[in-house]
Amino acid sequence: MDIEKKLEELRQRVKYAQDILGEKRNPRLDAFLDKLSEFEINDTCGDERLMASLKAHEQRLQVLEESIDHELTAMDKVRIVRHPERICLRDILENVYDNYNEIGGRDENSIDPGMVIARACITRRVGKRTYNQPVMVVGQEKGHGQEFRNGGSIKPWGNANALKYMRVAAQENIPIHTYVFTPGSYPIEDYPGAAQQIAENIYEMCGLSVPIVAVFSEGGSGGAEAIAMADRRLMLSHGYYSVISPEGAAAIEGRIKPGQRASQELIEKCALHQRITAQDNRKNGYIDVVVQEPALGARPEHFDFFKRLRGEVIRATDNVALSVRSLRFLRKLAMKWRSDDPSDVEKIFVRWHLSQSSRQRLITKRRKKFMGLSKHAYKDNRSLFQRMFMANKSFVDTAHSVIRYKVLRAMGKSIKNVTAEATDELHAVASRMNQMRQAMFRLLGMNGSSGGKKVDELTHLSQPNEPNGNEALARYVSPQARLDREISCPNTAKNGCLDIWARDLFDDFAGTCPNCGHHFRMEYQWYLANIFDKDSIQEFNRNIASANPTNFPNFEERVQKAKDKTGLESACMTFNASLLGIRLTCAMLVADFRGGSVGAAEGEKFVRALEIARKRHQPFLAYIHGTAGIRIQEGVNGLIQMPRVTMAVRHYIEAGGLYMVLYDTNSYAGPLASFLGCSPYQYAVRSSRIGFAGPGVIKETTGLDIPPDYHNCFKALKRGHIQDVWDRKEIRKNLHQAFLTIGGRNLYYR
Amino acid sequence: MNKHKVLIANRGEIAVRIMEACHDLGHEFVAVYTTEDQASGHVETARRLGGEGCVYRISSYNDAGELFSVADASGATAVHPGYGFFSENYRFARRVVQRERPMIFIGPSWWVIRDLGDKINTKRLARSLNVPTVPGSDRAIYDELEAEEIAESLFAFQEGQGISCPVVLVKASAGGGGMGIDEVPDMDRFRQVYRRIRNYSMRQFNDEGVLIEQRIFDFNHLEVQVVSERSGKRHVNFGTRNCSVQSPGRQKRIETAPGFYPSGMTYAFDAQKVLDDITAYSLRMAEAINYDNVGTWEWIVTPKGDPFLLEVNTRIQVENGVSAAIARIHGKNGVNLLREQIRLALGEPMGYTQNDITFEGVSIEYRIIAEDTTNRFQPWAGEIASFNWKDAPWLTMHTHVPTDRAYQIPTEYDPNLALAIIWGQDLEEAKARGVVALDGIELEGRDASGLELKSNLDFLRMKNKGLLEF
Repeated sequence: MDIEKKLEELRQRVKYAQDILGEKRNPRLDAFLDKLSEFEINDTCGDERLMASLKAHEQRLQVLEESIDHELTAMDKVRIVRHPERICLRDILENVYDNYNEIGGRDENSIDPGMVIARACITRRVGKRTYNQPVMVVGQEKGHGQEFRNGGSIKPWGNANALKYMRVAAQENIPIHTYVFTPGSYPIEDYPGAAQQIAENIYEMCGLSVPIVAVFSEGGSGGAEAIAMADRRLMLSHGYYSVISPEGAAAIEGRIKPGQRASQELIEKCALHQRITAQDNRKNGYIDVVVQEPALGARPEHFDFFKRLRGEVIRATDNVALSVRSLRFLRKLAMKWRSDDPSDVEKIFVRWHLSQSSRQRLITKRRKKFMGLSKHAYKDNRSLFQRMFMANKSFVDTAHSVIRYKVLRAMGKSIKNVTAEATDELHAVASRMNQMRQAMFRLLGMNGSSGGKKVDELTHLSQPNEPNGNEALARYVSPQARLDREISCPNTAKNGCLDIWARDLFDDFAGTCPNCGHHFRMEYQWYLANIFDKDSIQEFNRNIASANPTNFPNFEERVQKAKDKTGLESACMTFNASLLGIRLTCAMLVADFRGGSVGAAEGEKFVRALEIARKRHQPFLAYIHGTAGIRIQEGVNGLIQMPRVTMAVRHYIEAGGLYMVLYDTNSYAGPLASFLGCSPYQYAVRSSRIGFAGPGVIKETTGLDIPPDYHNCFKALKRGHIQDVWDRKEIRKNLHQAFLTIGGRNLYYR
Repeated sequence: MNKHKVLIANRGEIAVRIMEACHDLGHEFVAVYTTEDQASGHVETARRLGGEGCVYRISSYNDAGELFSVADASGATAVHPGYGFFSENYRFARRVVQRERPMIFIGPSWWVIRDLGDKINTKRLARSLNVPTVPGSDRAIYDELEAEEIAESLFAFQEGQGISCPVVLVKASAGGGGMGIDEVPDMDRFRQVYRRIRNYSMRQFNDEGVLIEQRIFDFNHLEVQVVSERSGKRHVNFGTRNCSVQSPGRQKRIETAPGFYPSGMTYAFDAQKVLDDITAYSLRMAEAINYDNVGTWEWIVTPKGDPFLLEVNTRIQVENGVSAAIARIHGKNGVNLLREQIRLALGEPMGYTQNDITFEGVSIEYRIIAEDTTNRFQPWAGEIASFNWKDAPWLTMHTHVPTDRAYQIPTEYDPNLALAIIWGQDLEEAKARGVVALDGIELEGRDASGLELKSNLDFLRMKNKGLLEF
């Protein structure tokens, strides 16, 4: 019954199209469906004619689909990638690669069935020779709605497994192809922890010296970034790549309470304005190549599409491999010769195996690629003079760095050796002299020792203590300490703490309960005054300002409001300061400025500060007064800061610095899952809560009810996410201790 | 004179005495009590002197917020902290004067309490004024080598002084009240003890500093009562006291004024000179920091007659009555230091100088406490069936224990029952009267298991014999 089948197929296609349009009705689609039902009744004609008529219908449907395709909104595309008929990783493995075998689990028998890892092979026949080129394929598998795949939402251990095999690929010197099919990561903190594992993935991928090609279909925030740090980023034309799902964005924008739903209109608006489509991302530079899908998105039967995808993936890998070939002119030549026709790639063989020097070049190239992103997404309000000043400073720093740490250090060492030997000799001579002197005194019957002075010290005023550093603090009185009121400690019921007078609490007690040690929130200014030496803070790049790169409605005013309220230009403040005499670079995320969220300006300031710290060989402190995550209104402009800043962090750490993170209050989501979470030295003040997603999001996405202290810093310590929990009053001392004892080889005071 | 309303943030016998003083001066007062204390005599006295409206029930004497609520509700204009509780808490004192509805704190200014409450600061202040202090360090020592050096010279110093078994004390500089303190009998054990105390201090107070001092044995504990005007410019002393009769936990049991009795007793040193010296030193310090209310300079005097400043108590003390009993202003008796304290704190001029103060006779204060002196001075808790004493013109009894009914001793607070203050023309007479007074006390009761009340009366009688001997 071919006709029945064909008819059913057409009906399915119409139904699919309707699914994609959601609640919107398309009259032409309805009319077509009517026609199709009429067709069913009229079955007296012969098969041939029916078939021909069906073919005509199919063509009309094709045209209809194409016309709908032109009018697809961002939200329609979200519905496409979420549709169970959407192609998934297994389809790609079947159709794009010549053969594959899954490693690290099979179907539900896997540590995380949502993450599929496979060794796949691409076979090229050039002339008479056959080349088998192995690749490591890693990606999320949605499995056309298979329950156990968990919708491609990856648990921390799934990401850890992916990283493990990407490392294997680097070891074996074969390229990595990653396929991003995830609505987002599974937000639980169980070891290794959603945020910490994603951070580790990004950090490690920055340094994997084999070509990495990522293909985005559904790029949901941190879950996507966990495997998407790539040399080439491809995207399917009907996919989306976004910092948060449109529903999530709408819930935040509309201040939706748990249990309520945001309006469809708001969701559509958020989807549109976050610039999540492939075309938008290509325009913004976050995606290198868009792979055109058939109308209304690729489904498993679209074999042409798989062919195209195969061509694009191979070409991307070729390009990466060629671009780091050792001879520059060959590189250029090879790039030039290649045509844009993807089918060509089958005819030319490019070796994907990289030499040692090429691998180094690959890493550098990858870093430069990411450093160059999102430059358009912040406002550089620095005056010409400021720019020149910073540029000049940067040059001076470079020169200074070379002279001081390369040239002088070597010289200094030899000088030191000589002087050390000389002083040793002098000491020996001096002590001999002293002995002789005392022998003389004894001979003359005089007492050489000075007992009187010692007794004096016991009964008379001694010299005051050596300054212990606390004298050098600025005075800051919190506005909270100006109120004449009593504050109740939240642990009163448990620990019997008495109410505390606000002036005592927020001034003398530094915002901590004297009985149980509960930490109340303090302003960032308190930390500036009480951590760093007085008058030592020199801010730079202040005028790199947060903007509204996506033209998100009404966002301009809201950013302006935050600027007016805090007097800052972005949520990030970067400065040089000294702590007990040690000069350091600090980037601070201020919770008062839009929740300390990270957008393009904040990322850029972080990157620049890291650069300064690297050149000056200073330790780097990321002080997180609070961060709510990536600024969702900036869309991918914000999201891209995750891999981007992580790249800068890695560059800094590898140059031998000390990258230290200190969390103070609520610190969640994207930044933790990237450039903060990747630090080997993360500390938390007792007032902090650390995690990937807040309780509301966890409830929404996983259905789990989490206990109220789930994100508590002590829990984070227990899980191994941070290294220690500090009392607020200990910060200065502990930081000083840390600067002296940990960190890389290239700190200036070492 | 402005009429004030004084919130009495205390309980027991001191609350009673403050009430009486306020009453005498014509000021109103507000009293507080807790549920456990509702049968206490101070509540009764408050009702009698101030009426029903001046008594408020609170949940704890330690809850500042509640005290201020009472102050605001009753419209109090001054706060008297008594002794214990908030009396030496400079933050409380500061809050009294800095809140939106400020009041007068009856005690020294908060910065004075703060500065003298810090033992290192006090010691350094004393040394800067050439006032003798316990030999040893006068600042927190953080360096092990330095600590060892000081300990070594301390041992040498003591040997030089002819002390046969020198001992050095290591104290956590942030500690107090007997916590984080240990003694070192010889240099070999120093490092071990030093590290233990340092680590304890680090854990407990988040500070590694230690103090290293000589341990002094067989000393007498003397005090100088200083009274200063609010201006901080005029200071007088009300003589000295000797508080050497103490429980093993270093709590005073008998206090005598004056501190020594050179006219009737022989000492191994010039006792009058010691008394004059410590009085002069105390006043010198009071002047230097502009002390501005009543306060007590505590001294230890070694068997050789060397005085060392121990600490300064920036409050009225339990034993203020003995100094008052021997003091005469313009030759008149009936001095009441609580009245002087309140008067001066409220800003009245002093009205007399040191020359107008004379001393006459000897006064002894016995602290009558329900405790088992044979068993480590354990407090006794139970019901007092009867408490009576024989009145005499030379005896003043301060108590919050009712005499007309049974009284259950609350276990929440210290078990002080009464203070018996005796005056005699000379030491012999005072001691003899003391015995008479102690013999005349009738104190009976039983605890929950039916055992008889235990008191320290026998201990007091025994210690009475050797008073002021040294």
